[in-house]
Amino acid sequence: MGIVIENPGILTTVQDEGRFGYQQFGVSPAGPMDTKSFYIANILAGNDRSEGALEMTFQGAMIRFEKDNIIAITGADMSPNIDGTPVPMYQAVLIHAGSVLTLGMTNGNGCRAYVAFAGGLAIAKVMGSKATLMRNELGGMDGRKLEKGDKIGFAAPKTNLPNMETRKLVPETFPKKELTLRVVRGPQDYEFTEEECRKFFWYGAKISNEFDRMGCRLEREEPLHHIGDGNIITDGISFGSIQVPPNGQPIIMLADRQSTGGYTKIGSVISVDLPLLTQSMAGYKVRFVEVSIKLAQDLYIRRLNELDNLERKLNQ
Amino acid sequence: MDAKFLISGDTAVSVQLGDEISLEVNQKVRGLMVNLTKDPINGITEMVPTYASLMVHYRPQVIRFGELKQEIEKRLGSMEKITDCGGIVKEIPICYGGELGPDLEDCARFENVSVQEFIRMHSAHEYYTYMLGFAPGHAYAARFEEPFHFKRRESPRVKIAGQSIVVQLNLSNLIPFPQPCGWNIVGGTPLTICDYSKEDPFLVHAGEWIKYVPINQREYDKIKEDVRKGTYRVKTYEKGVK
Repeated sequence: MGIVIENPGILTTVQDEGRFGYQQFGVSPAGPMDTKSFYIANILAGNDRSEGALEMTFQGAMIRFEKDNIIAITGADMSPNIDGTPVPMYQAVLIHAGSVLTLGMTNGNGCRAYVAFAGGLAIAKVMGSKATLMRNELGGMDGRKLEKGDKIGFAAPKTNLPNMETRKLVPETFPKKELTLRVVRGPQDYEFTEEECRKFFWYGAKISNEFDRMGCRLEREEPLHHIGDGNIITDGISFGSIQVPPNGQPIIMLADRQSTGGYTKIGSVISVDLPLLTQSMAGYKVRFVEVSIKLAQDLYIRRLNELDNLERKLNQ
Repeated sequence: MDAKFLISGDTAVSVQLGDEISLEVNQKVRGLMVNLTKDPINGITEMVPTYASLMVHYRPQVIRFGELKQEIEKRLGSMEKITDCGGIVKEIPICYGGELGPDLEDCARFENVSVQEFIRMHSAHEYYTYMLGFAPGHAYAARFEEPFHFKRRESPRVKIAGQSIVVQLNLSNLIPFPQPCGWNIVGGTPLTICDYSKEDPFLVHAGEWIKYVPINQREYDKIKEDVRKGTYRVKTYEKGVK
């Protein structure tokens, strides 16, 4: 016994860290859109940070608890409440059996919330992962988003965790209306003249309505021009790859990205900045700033160290 | 050409080993992957072979870009070449035409041959699987003899059936799941191309060869039933043996 979904919200899926090792067979890794909020939710809930949690988009779910368990809610502020009483985010909270947790519409601070459950969710792994890839009906709850009436068991529920009173952080503030993303050039920046590359960084773009777990299409006033026709011999894609198809309008590849693709990629959004994008909404303005691979990796390692330190502090 | 190390963000690098789609370049890609699988470099999390490059995903906290590049360069200098065209051939039964292959007659007309001759051209040769991509188990395969002359359809279909077999030029791909597609559909296979419930879900792997074997509707139904019961065994042989 664990939770029953009374109302699934707009798009609620089970996601763990992602399905790795199968991209060579054409399988998208899936996983959380905002890895930072996802990891913090698990760490606060006392879990291995890769454990499966719920990702809710724009409007959250209504969940009835059938058993006591500790949870942590992070990411977008969907004004969560338990039986009508507001419940703090970024904090480990014990929820009792019979209570109903409700997350509403986002108040504009972010668009994706994460709910982690202490001990994890009893979801069978497919190819080593609990992550849901809806496009190929793979993983999570029968490969689909959650529906009313779905029941998910707790794997090892807990009513107490070490340092329960200090398991909290200041909630995150996400970009509003505009954001700056740092980018490492490549793998195919050579398919653009230096002048076009400069234009990419000088003039921003707008996030279009075509923004889902697979990718984020941008709208530039003036499309980018390729030296060639914009096609390459199909090669690999990573989280944050910025594809520029022949129409010159960039697409940033996200959690449900294809493992491979045949469009030129001018650059990649650095890992630590991806959550800024995945918590943003259509209509926001994006600017790009070029950084070196050295700086991108320094920042990546610093982010990991911060998470490691948090985990160590809470679990000692 | 010398290997190019194309940075693909802070956790991946695309090692490009050629600038053409060819067996020779692809076997260099496979050779590097085999080398790094047998004797791994600490920090590499997964590798994705494509036509002419190997995407290497890695953990920067274990190995930084510069160091990884040096290590892979060493391997490229010392690794054994995969020179033979050997490997496993898998027989994929295909039922041509009808509802399973709505474009068969169009294709024969584009090629200016009879339907029988078209089927012979398509099924007489072995296809090399360059890579899997786009969807789980989706095989990008090509033959090296008698290429067709037509490419994609003028307007793509919004959705084609899973287990379709599609063609253009010398290429013939296996479609595991329903998807949008601009290629011509010549037939369908009763085999499951990707089955999540199996330990190895994928019918064909990169580097393997495919031989299409024409079957009729009655055989198609029979094989489909055997697949459902779990009693069907895919026929496999060493290339060059048969």
